[in-house]
Amino acid sequence: MITFSRVSLIYPHSTTTVIEDLSFEITEGEMVLVMGHTGSGKSSLLRLINGLVPHHTGGILGGEIIVDGKSTRRTKPGELAGIVGIVGQNPLSSFVTDTVEDELAFGMESLNFPPDVMRKRVEEALDQVGLASLRSRNIATLSGGEQQRLAIATALVMHPKVLVLDEPTSALDPIASEEVLAILHRLVHDLSVTVVLAEHRLERVIGYVDRILLIEGDGATSIGEPSEILQRTDLVPPIVRLSRALALDVIGTSTREVRKYSEAIRQSAPDSPRPIFQPGEVVISLNEISAGYAEKIALNSVSLQLRQGEITALMGRNGAGKSSLIKSAVGLLEPTSGSITFGGSLAGRDICEVSQRERSQLIGYIPQEPGDLLYLSTVAEECNRSDRDHQLASGTTLAALHQMLPTISPQSHPRDLSEGERLSLVLAIALAGSPVLLILDEPTRGLDYEAKNRLMALLHQRAREDGTCILMATHDVEIVAEVADRTIFLADGEKVADGTTLEVLLASPAFAPQVAKVMSPRPWLTVGDVLRAQSSSQ
Amino acid sequence: MKSLRVALISLLVPSTLIGFLWPFFVSSQAAANKAEWFFLISTTISIALIISLVATDDLGSKNVAFLGILSALVAALRPLGIGAIGIEPMWFALILAARVMGPTFGFLLGALSMSLSALLTGGIGPWLGYQVFAAAIIGCGVGVIPRNVRGKLELAFLALYGAVAAELFGILMDLQFWPWALGSGTELSYLAGAPIAENLSRFFSYHFVSALAWDIPRAIITVTLILLAGRPALNALRRARHKAAFLTHVEFQELANVRLNHR
Amino acid sequence: MKPFHPLTFWALFSSLTVGVIAADNALVAISAVGGAALIVKFYKQDGPWRMSFQWSLIAGAVLLLIRAITGMLIGVPRIGDVLFTIPRISLPDWLPGIRIGGDVTWERLSSSLQEGLIIATVIALFGAANSVTSPHKLLRILPSRIYQLGVTLTIATSVFPQLISSISRIRQAQFLRSGRKPSIGTIAIPLLEESLARAVYLAEAMEARGFGQSKSQSRYRPINYAPRDLFWISIGFISATAMVAL
Repeated sequence: MITFSRVSLIYPHSTTTVIEDLSFEITEGEMVLVMGHTGSGKSSLLRLINGLVPHHTGGILGGEIIVDGKSTRRTKPGELAGIVGIVGQNPLSSFVTDTVEDELAFGMESLNFPPDVMRKRVEEALDQVGLASLRSRNIATLSGGEQQRLAIATALVMHPKVLVLDEPTSALDPIASEEVLAILHRLVHDLSVTVVLAEHRLERVIGYVDRILLIEGDGATSIGEPSEILQRTDLVPPIVRLSRALALDVIGTSTREVRKYSEAIRQSAPDSPRPIFQPGEVVISLNEISAGYAEKIALNSVSLQLRQGEITALMGRNGAGKSSLIKSAVGLLEPTSGSITFGGSLAGRDICEVSQRERSQLIGYIPQEPGDLLYLSTVAEECNRSDRDHQLASGTTLAALHQMLPTISPQSHPRDLSEGERLSLVLAIALAGSPVLLILDEPTRGLDYEAKNRLMALLHQRAREDGTCILMATHDVEIVAEVADRTIFLADGEKVADGTTLEVLLASPAFAPQVAKVMSPRPWLTVGDVLRAQSSSQ
Repeated sequence: MKSLRVALISLLVPSTLIGFLWPFFVSSQAAANKAEWFFLISTTISIALIISLVATDDLGSKNVAFLGILSALVAALRPLGIGAIGIEPMWFALILAARVMGPTFGFLLGALSMSLSALLTGGIGPWLGYQVFAAAIIGCGVGVIPRNVRGKLELAFLALYGAVAAELFGILMDLQFWPWALGSGTELSYLAGAPIAENLSRFFSYHFVSALAWDIPRAIITVTLILLAGRPALNALRRARHKAAFLTHVEFQELANVRLNHR
Repeated sequence: MKPFHPLTFWALFSSLTVGVIAADNALVAISAVGGAALIVKFYKQDGPWRMSFQWSLIAGAVLLLIRAITGMLIGVPRIGDVLFTIPRISLPDWLPGIRIGGDVTWERLSSSLQEGLIIATVIALFGAANSVTSPHKLLRILPSRIYQLGVTLTIATSVFPQLISSISRIRQAQFLRSGRKPSIGTIAIPLLEESLARAVYLAEAMEARGFGQSKSQSRYRPINYAPRDLFWISIGFISATAMVAL
């Protein structure tokens, strides 16, 4: 279905090859995962399949790519619309119209499909992705998962033979991501659609894919069965790390398999739970706060105390009240009832009595879109600005950033940074004033394992060494399992669970991390937990 | 075909301008009463014709996406003003975008953002044609600034143009509204059949009053924003233009050549 | 209820406008506005443009006020019944030839108000048409000759509300970063960057979906005229004819 023969690619105004001498073949009805570090050329590879690269982006292409018998040299991306459907990283940005049905029709309208064909295909596509009940909704009001499914449907109306997806589940919560993957699985198995996807969250997709195409750091590529490829890379999901750490005879591509081979340790090792962290004094306390209106209650009488040195994860589905809670804590949203008070040196002072100037010194805030904070032209300018804002010696913020990420160039434009680098920059800025409370909203979106590890190390260090109180809203169960001391679950604006991460995550089947699923019912969430148990048994 | 279009456009633009200038040329009050309504309709029609002539080419997905989103941005910046009428940050965005993307793009961006603004706020009516024309001319006019200037000089040019454009927009809007706001028979109204100099003097007396309220604040905010945020905004626009590869260079080579040339 | 054809009410109110202008009669004008108010009351659309009729009434009133004031202050005197007299003020030399004040006559005032009323009515009729027609529907009937331009407006109308919410999101984030009220520039730059990134991305998505491939386009669920559309349009024509005849 897709053949790359000796493909090389150079973008305009560049002298380095993004992809070099790449050859592989993908057959009909296969699901292939493209894997590699950030900046390894995954997105370019995906967009080569329908000719967006180089027809749309410019560039020099060597070699030949044949999709369903057509060469992308001679066929433009638009002419391939009926063969290759492509779903990008950010579905909301790819929509043209504002209602679900109009969006599905848009591509067909511009290709002059007869109205009756359009009607039929719109219905089909709505059914395939389960959006029929939302057909006349405004797209902006859909959840992330629904938007992602709509993006898939806009490709499906063209009856493509190949579906290409760039990070389809990165921004989704575990449940929505399962829904998306189930749709892809059905397409592959029932309709023999060929699916090629890139995804950072390997733990989510690894069970679905037939083969993996790995782009290594030096540009070398290999393609093969998951079990074969995963042996050769350090970019592996927790379950593979577990299997490696325990020196099992399997690679670890499926939970069931690893479970079978790890029977022994589950039977024999003692629980040896992770030590429970004793947090310091209260930093901020939310007292029975409510927010929202009668019909739509965003928060319903939630009480919460956050303490020094403690890392708290805030979880729950979209619309459960996470953002309302965060906005209340930073003072952006005034609760309709209840109060918020600071502890520590400001003992007992209500948030309303503290000036915004003081508040911004006390609280470091990382918004969902880190770019919202950035408006200058270089990394260095942003850092200097932060030094001035916090009355620090010139160069302090930049030095802190370099400590986190030595490779970052001070002259680069903040918008040219990768997601991970941009997050580091914004963290350096937010932490420059040594806030007592650090609040992060979905910090792991679009991060690869490397950037995630960096983030976890930083959070841990800040909390334990500097006593910073950290609150992090996230969908990412793996990072929660690794780094959070405490986890709070919100549903429908109410706090439904609040306890140690171990208690809370073990009790929730949908939000259990991979290692916990393998090791169920033993109380281990991470590879570290299992190893600790193993070593204490010896 | 293309030259026919250019010829048509160059006929239509001056005839649209007459829609603004007719009070200086009418010979009698009876003619003026007819002209008033006639030009209201003819201006709308001719601006619509000009736009469809300019946009009849295949714009392509890049231009369509950029025009759509930037016109939403320009319209979204309109209410960001500090409340006072005339303090509209939109002009700064329109001028800078037109500077980077070129005069044709600027023309369409001006026209589209005005139309969008009217569409979304329910402001469609015979007056819309005049507003669209004025904004389109301002977006297109950025083309008079020499292409190759960069740095401080470029900002100075743009700021100067911003001030002129703010005033120009004020004059055009006043010209359009003049007969309607005052009617005939006041000391500041146009006088049918009078010499042009007489009517000009009346118009500028009228314009002076409205300029204090609208045009001067508009010019100040536009110039200030261009000087303050012009540099990063131009950078952002140029980087995006580069990234979207408007001037796509596509080449297909044999593998050996790719290596040879770039190793 | 099935929506009307987007041009139905535009046709109706355009005919009324022609009628009002041709009749040039205050009574006709006022009854046209009354009719428009009723139609707006029943067929008002949801959305920000819903308020258009109200705004147009206010705009019309302001225009009448300007006309009344300027008519009294700087109107060229007409002979007739003097209502009252405003003391004369002379202006500095650099505003030449303008006298303020003088006798205000009934003839002077009523003629400028009559003219103003007609214009205010026209504004109100267009405001009414805006109020009862969704702009999204209007975009769907743009002629296919300017299809691509229509798509730009479709994109713009769907992105616009998202940009408005981006503005408040960016404002909040900046506010928390520095503790100061952010300036227009510091909001505009991230907004511009976000918009441009989005445009680059959207262009690619549209290209991949085949935009611009075909010279002609089709319509999903084309909008057709229904009998009740024709009913309202003919009401417009009949009343316009009646106004002219009267």
